[in-house]
This record gives sequence, C-alpha cells and structure tokens, in this order.
Amino acid sequence: MSDLSAPGFPEEEVRRRARAGAAAAFPPPGEYGRVLFGAEHGGARWPEGEHDPLDTLRITPPVLMPQRLARLIDLGREPDYRDVELTTTIGGFTSALPVYVSALGSTRAAGGDLGLALSRQAGALGIPMVIGENVVPVNGYGRQGEAVDRALLGRLRAYAEQLPDGRGGVAVQQSTEDADAEVWNLVYTDPAALPLLESGRLAFELKLGQGAKPGLGGMTVLDADAAARVGDRYGLDDVFGDGRVLRSSTPGTFTAEILRQQIRLMRNNFPRARVWVKLHPGRDVAEAARVAAEAGADAVTVDGAEGGTGWAPEAFPAQVGLPLAECLRRLAAAGPPPCLLVSGRMWEGGRAVKSLALGARAVGLGRAALLATAEDPQTGLIRFAECLALELRLLISALGKYAPAALDRDDVWAPYFPGIPAAG
Amino acid sequence: MTTDGPTASASASAPIPDPGRHLTAPTTRSALRIQHQLLFSAREFLRGNGFTELLPPIIGPVTDPGSRGSKQVDVDFYGHRYKLMTSAILYKQASLLAFDKIFCIAPNVRLEPLETAGTSRHLAEFHQLDVEMAGATRDDAVRLVEELVVHMVDSTVRELPKEFAELGRDVDAFTELLKGSFGRMRHAEAVAELQEIGHPQSPDAELDWDGEALLSARRDRPFFVTDYPKGSRGFYDREDPENPGLLRNFDLIAAEGYGELCSGSQRTNDYAEIVTRMRETGENPQKYRWYLDLVREGVPGSAGFGIGVERLTRYVAGLDAVWQASAFPKLAGVVSP
Repeated sequence: MSDLSAPGFPEEEVRRRARAGAAAAFPPPGEYGRVLFGAEHGGARWPEGEHDPLDTLRITPPVLMPQRLARLIDLGREPDYRDVELTTTIGGFTSALPVYVSALGSTRAAGGDLGLALSRQAGALGIPMVIGENVVPVNGYGRQGEAVDRALLGRLRAYAEQLPDGRGGVAVQQSTEDADAEVWNLVYTDPAALPLLESGRLAFELKLGQGAKPGLGGMTVLDADAAARVGDRYGLDDVFGDGRVLRSSTPGTFTAEILRQQIRLMRNNFPRARVWVKLHPGRDVAEAARVAAEAGADAVTVDGAEGGTGWAPEAFPAQVGLPLAECLRRLAAAGPPPCLLVSGRMWEGGRAVKSLALGARAVGLGRAALLATAEDPQTGLIRFAECLALELRLLISALGKYAPAALDRDDVWAPYFPGIPAAG
Repeated sequence: MTTDGPTASASASAPIPDPGRHLTAPTTRSALRIQHQLLFSAREFLRGNGFTELLPPIIGPVTDPGSRGSKQVDVDFYGHRYKLMTSAILYKQASLLAFDKIFCIAPNVRLEPLETAGTSRHLAEFHQLDVEMAGATRDDAVRLVEELVVHMVDSTVRELPKEFAELGRDVDAFTELLKGSFGRMRHAEAVAELQEIGHPQSPDAELDWDGEALLSARRDRPFFVTDYPKGSRGFYDREDPENPGLLRNFDLIAAEGYGELCSGSQRTNDYAEIVTRMRETGENPQKYRWYLDLVREGVPGSAGFGIGVERLTRYVAGLDAVWQASAFPKLAGVVSP
C-alpha cells in the first residue's frame, strides 16, 4: 500500500472496494442476520445540511378547536388524551391502533424464535401483520415436517392463537418465486387458515417493491448449503468470495396493465381474501397507487426510501427512492388511494402522526417491531405499542382531534416542504 | 333422489357414504351408466367428425394455473418438482403439432378451497372431455360444443330410458336442449342481469358460483356466456383485438340451476403475448419453459374446450351433487378412498 492519500475524498471507501471488489457494494456479510439496515436518523444518509423531510415537519396544534367542543358536547365533560379512539380499519381489518407490522420475509433476522415471538405479540395486540415473501420457498410452509419456527404456518398459527375476536388480520405476500410455490393457493386452501378466512381476516399482498431497495427484489445472504437447496429457484451470485452467496429474488415485471390484471385475478381467485398492494417509493408512485386502487385493492402500502431491510446494497438506502414525505405529497396531490398505508423508519408517535396527517390510514412497523421483540420476546412489542399508543393519543388530542382519521395536512408545517402550506 | 333440481339438495352437504354402499346404490349405478353412455356417444361424435383421441399426461413440470383459488398437487419426480394435471390445456395446444383435431378424456386434480365441499358442484378429482382444433375460432368451438352436447344427451336419453326412470329424472327437461340452439349472452349482460336481480356480481371477475346458479335456474336450456374480462381467466385465452380487455372465450352453463358444464376459448399462440399475459396472471414464465420454447417455434392457432364429465353427468342424471356422478369421489378437505 502506498502512502498516497486524498483528503476530503472518500478514500477509505475506495480502498475498501480495491481490496474487496464486488463484495464492497454491500455491508460486510458477517452483519447479515444481526444488523437491520435502512436510512439513518436525520444525518449521514442525507446530503450535507438536509434531513428527512418528515422529521423536519412540525406538528402544529391550533388554538381554537371546534372538534374539541364537539367531543366535549358528546362526553358532557372536558375531553382529554384518553378520549382519543385509535381503533382503525386497515385494508379491511379492524385494528386496535393505526399501526400494523410490516412484511418480514425470509431474512434470517426475522426467522426462528424472534419471528414467532413477534407474531404472538402482534396477535395479542390485535394489529394486522404482514408475512413477507420467500418464506415458503426457503423455509417451507410447515405441513411437511419443516422446522415450524421458520415456516410460514408457524408464524400464522402463533399470530392467530393470540388474536382477540374481531381484531387484526394477516396479509401474506407472494413474490415471483413464491408464485411457483403457489403460496396464496396454499394458504387459501389450508384448514389452518380457515378461521382467519371465515372471519374476514386474511389478505394477500402483491409486492411490487420495497423502500430500502426500490427496483430490486428481496435479497439475503446464504451459506453454501442453503444456497444449494434453493439454487434452482433463485438467482445466486458469488459476490462475497468466501463461500457465502447473495440470493436475489426477481422484483417482477409490472406495467399498469399487468398490475391491474394481477389485482383483478387476485379478487377473482380469492374472493374471500382482502387484496393489499405494496409499492416501493418510485417516482410514479401516485400513478401506481391509482391503478391499484381502481383495480380494487383494499389497501395500498407505500414503503418510503427510509424503509428498513435485512440486506441491501449500500447505494440503495443511501441514494435510491423518494423519501416517504415526498411520496405522501405526490399521493395527496394526485388524490390518494382510499386506504393508504405507509412505512419507513416508523418508531414513535410524531412520525406516525405526521404520516397520518399527510393522508396515510396507518403506519407500518418494521425494524422497530423486530427490535422491540428482541428486547423482550414475551412483552417487548406490547410495551413498545403501549408507549406508541400513548404518544398518538397525546399528539392527536393536542391537535384538538379524537381519531386518527380526523388528522389533515393543516396539522403539520414546515418552512421548506413543498406543497404543504403553513397552517393559518 | 329428487327431480326438482339442485336447490332442493339435502344430500349435497351430506358426507360421502363408504365406498361399498356408494358403489352398490342403484342411484350410483344409474348415474355411472348414464356417464358411460355420454362418453360413448361423445367418442362416436368426435371420431365421426375427424378428431383423434389422445391419452393425456397425468404429471408434468407445469400445469394449468387458471383455476380459481385451488392448489396444485406437487409430485417429487426424481428430485424435480412436478405437478398433477389441473387441466390438459398446455398439452392440448402442443398436441396440435401431431393432429389438427384432437380430444381426450383427462383426469384432473385441483385442491379446491375448503368452502367448495358444500357447493354440490366441486370435486377435487374430476375428468374433462377435452377438445382442441387447429385454425378454429371461438365461435367454431361454441358451435361444436352445442352439437356435441345435443348428440350426447340425445343418445343417452334414447338408449337409457330405464336409468332415467330409476333416477326419477324427467327427460322432458331436455326438450329445449334437444332443439339444438343454446342461448348466448355476453359476460357483461350476465353481470347486468345479476345486478338487476340484486346479486352483487363483480364486472371484472368470473361469475361467482351463486350468480351462475341464479342465471342457470332462470333458464330452461343450456346457455353460453361469452367474452369474459381479462383477469378472470388463464393466460391462454385470447384477448379480443377489437375489444381490448375482453377474451374470446366462453362457458356453457346448464339449465335448472346446475351451473357451469364447460369452459373454452380461442387460444393465444403468440409468444410475446403469452409471456405478457403470464405476467398479468402473476405467473413466472421461467417455469413454463418447455411450453414457451414450443410456442416460440410455433404452435397452430386453435380453439377448444373442456366439458366437466361429472358435472354433465350430474345435470343429465338430475343428481343433487356432483360427487354422486363419481365412483370414487374426492371432496375438498374430505379424506376418502
């Protein structure tokens, strides 16, 4: 190594690429399964001086509050934050909170006991849960003696066993490779899923992309043995050069017509299941959301560029995709879908309330749900949700409102956020 | 056994009797004799019209994905994942490379949603009388079904009066059918009629089972529903270039509430169109490699159909439930021999 240096230039990153080759496009593979990736708080992943626009918004309670008067008349006493009703209809399901658990797929971090513990707690909370793609082709369904803690059926059962009557629901994703395994047909015909189906608490989510790697399919890191098992179904790439390989699923090819017809086919083939559609934060997100809603999707999910993931090339969370706030602005301008769900670095009440004020029906927890479960597999997510619910009640009542649906864009303000005028 | 159609069905949701009792029941014997005659006369008619009978495969690397909500059965074929056939469609198109007009009586297995165990009209294992002809249009296929069904019913009514008497099936029910002209309506007209009588039928989907039964109960002869919308059928039904979004396909629906008997269409045989349509139906083109390679090299344009053998038997014999038209019936989720 020479003593050449380049102050002010990303010298170390260049040297890392010179040493590691293609592997340097990714985080160190040893972090796979232990680290959750995605946009970082406020700073490093945004260009100098810029911040996540959702974080820079301020929540702006008015002084004069006619909706508080309405609640006062209704209650016959002064309302307080405990009078905020958080129960929300999410994609055809009734949820205790305007919150759902985002898709956790075949990534190792969501597998095993952690995935089961998370499913149990989400069920107990009565909030919807999305089961991510590639679980069946990689870990199996669970009826043929596969390890139940990793298989799809394990998560489905863990969730359903804890679910209170009339609350929650499960949305099952299907990727291109899942389609080969007929995941939706399998769930739709499975006796174990019948109680959810009969009570209207089963949905299928068509995934077009995700926020952390827009335009790419799901990615994981596999050791040689696991790779050999799925090599006939997935793209494998020996980028790490150490025996571990990159496994990619294809993102699928979509045009407006393909999206429209796939949704219609889902409604045709699974008339008793709800249809959810998940979009990455693409520049045409409003157009895609409109097509999905018009074709009959019960919910359209937009995962902002801040979204987390088990694995992604570093260029993507740092530089690819629209920030969630910009997605919300474009969706609002075009007329948002009737049930818009959003995710992307959600973990506390403020960011959630801002998203709801900008047109979302509910927010999805990804990394936060996994971390809270990892902190305490018995009640970590439940306590986390308790705190989030309290913050939501405090913030919504401070705005003189008593239901998430009452929030609107006047409830937030930013000096430089285009399309959102200062209130009042 | 009743003669007043399937709406009075009591045995439809009753458990299937054990095989000994089922096979020795006079009803079963009469139903199977009627089925035998229907197939005999179908072969007679099709051979007389220049069709060659082929024996269809039972397993293959891929099968028809176009069945509502049902799961395919995986077979471990020397370490490769194969499927039991859900229909013979892909092989029917391929077979036209050998003969211009083919037919087969093909077994199909579809793990239908559990709710179908109570519809009186779904079996997890059933047979289709499959017909395909090169160079034909949808309307050619419709005319052929019409003539074929008239021939089958006419022959059976003439040959087996005792079986109809045994079942209490009044053959006057076929007076209109035997005149030979079935009704025709477009899918959009069927939707409008159903919505008018208060049934919430989606205009973008196949007619749901209740809707089909409602239309069927309002008619005294079988009728065709044509021009189903894209998104309700498999990738192989040809889109109508003059009416984008509509398919050149059809169902034949029985009278008296017995519902669908047959599905058919003019087929897509253009490679790029098939790949695009596969994506529109959520399919991964990669798994259809043998079929797509064949299509890329060229398969003839064609039209064809599949008649549900047990469903037609049920209608002709006037049975309460379709399982009564099978010697060894399999219902969704019910363990039986």
